[in-house]
Amino acid sequence: MLKVRRVSWIGPLAMLLVACGGSSTSGGTSSNYSGKTINLGAVVSLSGGGGVYGPQQKNGIELAVETINKNGINGAKISVDVQDDRSDKQQSAQVVQTFIQTGKVFGIIGPTLSNSAVAAHPVAQNQRTPIVAASTTGKHIVGDCPYPGGCTYIFRDSLGEATAIPDNVKAAVTKSHPKSAVLFFANDDKFSSDGADIFKQALADNGITIPDGGVLQFSKTESDFKSYVTTARSKNVDLWAISSLGGIPAKIMIEARNQGYTGPFLGGNGLNTYQVSQQAGQQGKGAQSGSAYFVGFNDPTNKSFVDAYKAKYKDDNGNPQLPDQIAAQAYTAVLIYAEAARNANLGFTDIAKDRDSLRSALEKVNIASPLGQFRFTSQHDVHQKVWINAFDGKGGFVNLSSFESN
Amino acid sequence: MSRLLLAVVTAQPPSYYLQQLVNGIFSGSIYALFAVGYTLVFGVLDILNLAHSAVFTLGAVIAFVLLTHFGLPFWLAALLAIVICGAIGYGLDLVAFRPLRHRGAPHISSLITSIAIALIFVSITENTFGANSKRFPPGVAPSGELHIGAIGIDRLELFILALTLFLMVVLGYVIRSTRPGSAIRAVAENPRAAFLMGINVDRTIAFTLMISSALGGLAGILYGLSQHDVSPYIGRDQVELKGLAVIVVGGMGSITGAVVAGYLLGLVEVLVLVTLGTNVRSGVAFALLFLALVLLPAGLFGERAARRT
Repeated sequence: MLKVRRVSWIGPLAMLLVACGGSSTSGGTSSNYSGKTINLGAVVSLSGGGGVYGPQQKNGIELAVETINKNGINGAKISVDVQDDRSDKQQSAQVVQTFIQTGKVFGIIGPTLSNSAVAAHPVAQNQRTPIVAASTTGKHIVGDCPYPGGCTYIFRDSLGEATAIPDNVKAAVTKSHPKSAVLFFANDDKFSSDGADIFKQALADNGITIPDGGVLQFSKTESDFKSYVTTARSKNVDLWAISSLGGIPAKIMIEARNQGYTGPFLGGNGLNTYQVSQQAGQQGKGAQSGSAYFVGFNDPTNKSFVDAYKAKYKDDNGNPQLPDQIAAQAYTAVLIYAEAARNANLGFTDIAKDRDSLRSALEKVNIASPLGQFRFTSQHDVHQKVWINAFDGKGGFVNLSSFESN
Repeated sequence: MSRLLLAVVTAQPPSYYLQQLVNGIFSGSIYALFAVGYTLVFGVLDILNLAHSAVFTLGAVIAFVLLTHFGLPFWLAALLAIVICGAIGYGLDLVAFRPLRHRGAPHISSLITSIAIALIFVSITENTFGANSKRFPPGVAPSGELHIGAIGIDRLELFILALTLFLMVVLGYVIRSTRPGSAIRAVAENPRAAFLMGINVDRTIAFTLMISSALGGLAGILYGLSQHDVSPYIGRDQVELKGLAVIVVGGMGSITGAVVAGYLLGLVEVLVLVTLGTNVRSGVAFALLFLALVLLPAGLFGERAARRT
């Protein structure tokens, strides 16, 4: 009896420790970093087309810094310098270059957009500085990236479209058995066109056909989608897939409902933020996407993250703000760096050596995070659960189902 | 060619083409409304006021903030936003254009100043309003569709169409038949001669910028309503370059030209989408601009430009 009672206490106690500290299973020895600061840089899109996502990333990062610094990292504090790249790839590369040249930054988070990552990541790779992409979901971001120096210093904690979209299509097939689809995508944006390629493949793999003229491409600066929607309506298909960023998916959904389309919408990671759900409103209800995160995830680490986020951030009306996928991934990126730094035996005298040590430690990170238990794959990509979420019609999300990735 | 057109036209029921025609007309309304204010300033100052797109944005953003944060009724929020945009236009002349004009600076200086002002306005909007795309709450303006057979016509867009044509007529009347309009025409023709005839040139130019900006603000509000999109970038990303194409094609400085070219662009974009597909639509405005420059250097209604040359 006594033995049973002891065991019954150990489980909750272990969970509590995981929740409070973000447990390490990587088993490195802890060095003493007393009085030191682990400086990171973050390049995010606070303005421009990616400005829909950047502010939530900044929130997630700042909250993570606050949370981590309550206990420190082996006695050190963590600091993240957040800089805006204005959603411009050249600016993004320049910010990364500046971070590295200061000689104080151990690692970098970002950039927000896949379009910018292709310019910024090679800079970090060439200068042997770890970079964790917290929201770039396009193809060839990690593992098989086409940069001359490879991508050994590039990691991502954001769920790639190559995983999220096929799972999303699979969920739609299970739910409503669609046979035909149209596909909208912005042809001048890497994220959107990568997503479109993945959609085409996933739809074909599930026996869903796209009729002639059913691939509707536009510029990301297009203002009026009426004509596109009229064309899509004329195809009489079972579902509409949209691969685009910012407010465009919402505009398409509103116009589609106004023109009488009543079928389902499928989207990519561009849908995974409250701003798009709010903009789409009632007309967006049911639009579903594969996501790395669900705010209602019943997990102690996520619950403490959500509570802290709601306490710290308010919306325009002063109500507590809920974190979205983008915020959770950025928050997790800082947790990942903190855990890697804890086990990296940093010397604080030779930044190049410390960046190498941090890179090696990143590969072994295995932590509890708001995204679930998190570790990188051998390709430095994410290994985590995929949530299939849908707009609730009131600016939020509901969860429909989930898949275990990889 | 005729076979291609025949194949395209018979591929869909007639209602599809009629609906696309309606779509083209409504798209053109926004281009026209934006371009009217744009071209008015060019007609008087002979400069492109590239801050016009930022004022367009401010119109939508100010109305949105007054409506959602201050709880004003929509009509009052819109009216105040238009008045504020007009005042901004007046201020623009005082701060950005008049000092350069008095120093006899070349027109390129004013163009650069207007770009700087546009960047400042967008930056202020980003930092106060945020970079997110938002929408006016449903129900603040006439909504819903009228149905004529299988054709759906949005009530709001019908209103925008009527307003655009009304403004074209009223502005035309003001410019042609009123005393301030005569002053504007005189300054546009020759500022020095206008001054010698007793016209207050500075005041006339500031008045023109005020009217132009108020129209820009109104266009921004109507864009935000009809496209469900209010963000710091609606002017810069969505209409600025197309607006430029419209005023060049219409004839720089011509209000009627701006309206006609606005509708023309909307219709040509739809025609291209229907016949050639969606992937080439984006380039249409600039193909049209190129053609206009080659075939009609003064634009469709470019009397003043022709006269000057």
